[in-house]
Amino acid sequence: MSDDDTGQDRAARLRQALADCAAGQEDGLAVILDIEGGQLLGVAQRILGRADLAEEALQDAMVQVWRKAANHRQSDGSARGWIYAILRNRCLNILRDGRRLSILAPADLALVQEARQQIVPAENWEILSGPGKLRHCLSGLDGQSRQFILLAYVAGFSHGEIAARQDVPLGTAKSLIRRGLSALKECLS
Amino acid sequence: MTDLSTEMRDLASDYVLGLMPEGEARIFEEVIERDGDLARYVGGLRDQLLPLDLSAPHSALPEEFLVRVQAQIAAEPMRAAPLSDAMPRAANLSRAPSRSWIGLIAASLVGIAVGFGAGWMRPLPEPMVVAVLLDAEGVPQAVIEDYGNDTATVRFVADIDVPSDRSLQVWTLPTAEMGATSLGVLERTAPTRLSFDDLPGPMAQQLYEVTLEPAGGSPTGRPTGPIIGKGFAAQQL
Repeated sequence: MSDDDTGQDRAARLRQALADCAAGQEDGLAVILDIEGGQLLGVAQRILGRADLAEEALQDAMVQVWRKAANHRQSDGSARGWIYAILRNRCLNILRDGRRLSILAPADLALVQEARQQIVPAENWEILSGPGKLRHCLSGLDGQSRQFILLAYVAGFSHGEIAARQDVPLGTAKSLIRRGLSALKECLS
Repeated sequence: MTDLSTEMRDLASDYVLGLMPEGEARIFEEVIERDGDLARYVGGLRDQLLPLDLSAPHSALPEEFLVRVQAQIAAEPMRAAPLSDAMPRAANLSRAPSRSWIGLIAASLVGIAVGFGAGWMRPLPEPMVVAVLLDAEGVPQAVIEDYGNDTATVRFVADIDVPSDRSLQVWTLPTAEMGATSLGVLERTAPTRLSFDDLPGPMAQQLYEVTLEPAGGSPTGRPTGPIIGKGFAAQQL
């Protein structure tokens, strides 16, 4: 991606790339990987902690992007957000598929789980949110809600995992996350 | 946006955060596809949280990555429907949903009929009825869309184990006189379009079910095996 590639230009190119995929033109895939491939793989690597799993997740996600491209409607958010959502879902499916992870040796599995725990630091969470409005609004949340939201979104932990790891009842974890996200949404809009 | 209930927004939040179990997420995606307000809400939330994804350190793509993607696409040309991926590997779907929102979903599917006038568009033909099939524990197993022109689609939203000597068979009960009528036999849980002959147009509250039958389908022409899931149609038009 060239340095003078502005956000608007990128958004337009991604929209066009999705339209190309929907029309059966594989150039669309090449453009998406050219613009976002490294960042997408970075997201998968952060959640899954292993290069082989991350590559598998991105490969599966790109196949889904290809197949579902015609379903994306511009009125429903950006092409970029849609593509990242597909990748994140694929990563979560791998994480939560016991059989999928059971091929890993116990020590490797422990490493994956341990690495995920480190993704969301209790201090310096700001590095996760970039400099913009999201950071401002996250900083306005109570610390626990914010951390739970980040554990879910950034590290891919489930309600149950968050409750167990943070030692709070499941219902409390759920309501803290919902209340937090609702407040976040209000602040962002 | 204001039309969305608090409960629907909470579900959307769980969905975008990745907190919805996979089977529920598949059904929720069906709802998103049909509800323009919900789709915009979900899309907006995704875009707002996107900076979190962009904070991940960049990883260089391996050589020839595009070629690998293209090869995978070429190797699975028939798996075209949106729900096909990952489903055979879905985990933990046998456990009951963490909440009971199937009623809400059924209501929302019915509510779509009201929403049509608002200019909601979908690039697919419109089903006349949709039925969410649940197992005995109330866990969603499959979604049936009946188009009323002797075609229907079935998509499985749970990880169903089909032994090699068994088939899945889709049934409906068009009228009491006709009794259970087969809509088709499936060997696996891939999304499938079913074509059948001369059934009366589907009605609201019509029963649909999927059973596990001997390979090739029920020998009697009526359901004989265990019920995988059943549910009643919600009218769409």
